[in-house]
Amino acid sequence: MDIGALQKRVDKELSSIKTIDDVRKAKVSLLGRKGIFSEYIENIKLLDKGERKGAGQAINALKLHTESKLREFEDFYGEEEKKKREAASRIDITMPGKMPLAGKRHPLTQTLDEMIRIFTSLGFSVAEGPDIELEYYNFEALNIPADHPARDMQDTFYIKDGIVLRTHTSPVQIRVMETQLPPVKIIAPGTVYRCDNDISHTPMFHQVEGLMVDKNVRFSDLKGILSMFVQDMFGKDTPLRFRPSYFPFTEPSAEVDIGCVICGGTGCRVCKDTGWIEIIGSGMVHPQVFRNVGYDQEEITGFAFGMGVERIAMIRYGIDDIRQFYYNDIRFLSQF
Amino acid sequence: MKVPFEWLSEFVVIDMYPQDLAAKLTMCGLEVEGTEEQVPSFEGVVVGKVIGIDKHPDAENLVLCMVDAGMEILPIVCGAKNVAVGDKVALATVGAKLKDGLVVEKKKVRGIESLGMLCSERELGLSDDHSGIFILPEECKAGHWLHEEAFINDVILDINIPPNRGDCLSMYGIAREVGSILGQRAKTPIFSLETDTQQKVKDHISLKVLDADACPRYVLRMISGISIGTSPFWMRNRLIKCGMRPINTIVDVTNYVMLELGQPLHAFDYHRIRGKRIEVRLADKETAFRTLDGQEQKLREGDILICDGEGPVALAGIMGGENSEISGTTEDVALESAYFNPLYIRKTTRRLGIKSEASLRFEKGIDIDNVGLAAERAIFLMNQLSGGTVMKGEREVHTKKELKTMFITYSHINGLLGTHIPQEDITKILRSIDIHIKKESEEGLLTTIPNFRHDINEPADIVEEISRLYGYDRIPATRPVSALSGQKRSPREVSLNAAKEFFKGAGFFELINFAFFSEKDVENFLVLPADERASFVPIVNPISREYAVMRTFIAPGMLKAIAYNINRGAKNLRFFEKGKAFFLSGEGKPYERTAFCFAMTGREAEFFWRDKYSDYDFFDVKGIMEGLMGVLGVTFSLRKTAEPFLNPQRGADILVDGVQAGWIGELREEVLKSYEIEQSTYCAELQFDIILQKVKLEARYRPIPRFPQVTRDFSFFIDDTVPVGVLTDKIRGVSPLITSVGIFDMFSKEKKSVSFRVIFQSYEDTLTDEEVNRLQETIIKELTNINGISLRA
Ligand SMILES: [Zn+2]
Repeated sequence: MDIGALQKRVDKELSSIKTIDDVRKAKVSLLGRKGIFSEYIENIKLLDKGERKGAGQAINALKLHTESKLREFEDFYGEEEKKKREAASRIDITMPGKMPLAGKRHPLTQTLDEMIRIFTSLGFSVAEGPDIELEYYNFEALNIPADHPARDMQDTFYIKDGIVLRTHTSPVQIRVMETQLPPVKIIAPGTVYRCDNDISHTPMFHQVEGLMVDKNVRFSDLKGILSMFVQDMFGKDTPLRFRPSYFPFTEPSAEVDIGCVICGGTGCRVCKDTGWIEIIGSGMVHPQVFRNVGYDQEEITGFAFGMGVERIAMIRYGIDDIRQFYYNDIRFLSQF
Repeated sequence: MKVPFEWLSEFVVIDMYPQDLAAKLTMCGLEVEGTEEQVPSFEGVVVGKVIGIDKHPDAENLVLCMVDAGMEILPIVCGAKNVAVGDKVALATVGAKLKDGLVVEKKKVRGIESLGMLCSERELGLSDDHSGIFILPEECKAGHWLHEEAFINDVILDINIPPNRGDCLSMYGIAREVGSILGQRAKTPIFSLETDTQQKVKDHISLKVLDADACPRYVLRMISGISIGTSPFWMRNRLIKCGMRPINTIVDVTNYVMLELGQPLHAFDYHRIRGKRIEVRLADKETAFRTLDGQEQKLREGDILICDGEGPVALAGIMGGENSEISGTTEDVALESAYFNPLYIRKTTRRLGIKSEASLRFEKGIDIDNVGLAAERAIFLMNQLSGGTVMKGEREVHTKKELKTMFITYSHINGLLGTHIPQEDITKILRSIDIHIKKESEEGLLTTIPNFRHDINEPADIVEEISRLYGYDRIPATRPVSALSGQKRSPREVSLNAAKEFFKGAGFFELINFAFFSEKDVENFLVLPADERASFVPIVNPISREYAVMRTFIAPGMLKAIAYNINRGAKNLRFFEKGKAFFLSGEGKPYERTAFCFAMTGREAEFFWRDKYSDYDFFDVKGIMEGLMGVLGVTFSLRKTAEPFLNPQRGADILVDGVQAGWIGELREEVLKSYEIEQSTYCAELQFDIILQKVKLEARYRPIPRFPQVTRDFSFFIDDTVPVGVLTDKIRGVSPLITSVGIFDMFSKEKKSVSFRVIFQSYEDTLTDEEVNRLQETIIKELTNINGISLRA
């Protein structure tokens, strides 16, 4: 057995390695199943018993050496190869990426959802009512009789005698109280209509109405709940004030103003230089409303409030034209 | 209402800036919407007192006035004729600037030195009057600034009076509020009326009130021998500041007193009152009557009429008649001051659609106790301004009513407000607004309400008065006693939200359209008259023809939005909308349904440098529908559609449990053309209430299979007459071990070839080849048994 020839063969193969491919080839021809080492190891069996051990050791040592050499080469040329591959994989990373399709919810429903989230977390559940409403629910039941001056405050769309498009979501209050005994704690979000169409009015818009009726509901609770809402919606430090006002279905009534978010209170066009923006109408439920739904006003009290979703959204996003909400212009919708 | 600060200060002492008062009023319920500063358009003009007038030696038309300017006496050459010694005049001294920018200089007029000029109202920019020098009221102080003395400098508060506070529609009314805020009592105007002892009202006119409910108080006063002219500046100035146009000394006084005391007045030309009697009655039949604005009014039963001996002369509380109107030549005036029942006035104004400053006040209710004072005040001012003789006495009918009394407990007040306002503070507040306390007890107060407070009718109204004057900012903010536990949202809301979130994730933008459309939209969609969608609900008073009826479906609004955006350069659109649709329901109230609509047009994106996009087709919109229904856990099927607006080849009805829940497909070209859309558009609309009943949102865990799945592909030639969708179901039906059937290839050469990929999966053990082979055979057999299907080798 010519170990020297094997040594030469190995040296020759190893010295001719120039690439990772050469490494792979050398691996096969030297260490492979049909490689030269296998051949020599196979041939050991043919030797005399006494020679076997020495030859075996010599071959094994040489094999170990070869393996480690090949590993070295593999690491070296492998690394080189990888570098080449990477170099060849060059792209222009400044080309535009591919964005997945992404839609958007309308800014009004985003705002409405946020409002609903806040009120449900305060224990209010959501109630709904029809858009086409009986005049009775829209007006009389809310203490706005036919010849009441407050009727003039709202320009009503008429469907026919006694049937209107609701001018506010307040009729839901009545519908709920007519079918449910106190305690009542609801909000009624929805679409409302007034025949008004100009720079600051759309004939359809959205409101959230709230009602809480129970034993010992106080005006101070109204202040508490609405303060919590304002702080959650507009931030902890939002200045707010309650100001006496008039609504036929509440007594006492209060308007809630927040510090103008546009000018920070120093006065601007949006707040008409007052530093305040009106956002919520509210008050203690008028005793007549309780009488109308058959609640015993000696036993319970309650508060109600209502606010325009458009107005809140306009403040939230800094939108200055209410009509933008209804053009459905994608350049508008994609901003929110 | 516009309230000049200067005028308001006549009734109360206001020791603060107008802006500060405005803030206080706002916080007490009289919202000041703006404060407008009124500044003069001249500078350096003072009050001068004419102490001597001499003829100009060289000019017949000129005079030389010696004018006391406070610190000095100035010689002023002047051409006007209306100046007399003792008059207070507007004096522009050297250096003063007039309205049109003219600067007054020292000059010689025909040899006489003139150190300034006397000005007309026009020269000062106060009015168009250039007929003479602006003569000022006696009380103006010589040498003081004109704009201060004549109240040209002022701040006008614009107050938003709540509809129930008719008592605040006057300077005195506002002053009463200011007084209660400042701890004062507002004063009524002080004047003393001199009447003739010979001429008596009762000898000249008679009065009868036939309906005391309609007119509980009526006062007539008279003045004779007047000469009507232009009102003095101070009155005109106040009227103008309040937004009224000065007319003449009689009309101006009626308006002035209305603004001052809140009592509307009406002046009749005495000589035009036939039969020299006034009768207040309700119209008992339809009558035509010409009001002084020249309009023919149709009067009806229940309207309150002021009649003379022959017929109506005024529509009570609303407008006078042409037939008794005063004119420039009127010499004798009969003045009406009355209280008319608001309910009657409202009914009439609403029916006739006429409104006046007078009716506005009567509708809300005026102060019945002030009717006499206002008549006196007006007749006094008429006398001052127009001369003449005030006749002695008056004609009056007054049906007195008891004051409202009300008992209110302290616990009611503090209980409702959540406060601890002490009893003495409560009484103090009530007294400050003239609520009289008849009796005090441990529990509460027995009060009487003054007649001018028409808005206080029950204890809650008293609580309001206390709360607003106590100050809302002093009421604490509390947490309600009942628990504030969070609320779950209803399944309906959760489903709606899941659907909306699905669309958002799928790249759709949410729209909100008005719930109106027009008859034209129904036509555009080729909807037949018998179709439910043609039974739309019309609006009696729509804002426009475009929005004349309530929508019966959403798709037309969707197309309008698509057209709007295409016109602005956005061609690739994916929109959805949730909204209501409305339908007529016989004689009853229309009914409403919630619908979901979505549409896609164009393609996913205009371009991407690496990829090519193809235009949306039916399978894109169907995929969205599949995704939506998947999210909601609803199974649906498609059926050939008869919707008139869909391309019948590329449209379908959506069935949920055999019930039609909507439609899907490509809109017909002619429908799109009606909205000026030229690109193919796919759309679907669903009745949400039908879907909602089938929604399954709760997720349930199923173990992940531990055994490997097996995949097999099948290819068949399939005739065009066989719908492939049915075959997918058929394959799935072969065995519960088949967990998925997909179509991965389809092409047509001579025949259509379709390739299915079927996944087999067992939850119990590893599937053997034999088992899968057996199922494979069944699939092939089941399909090739169908006419028109053969296995592709
Ligand atoms: Zn501002």
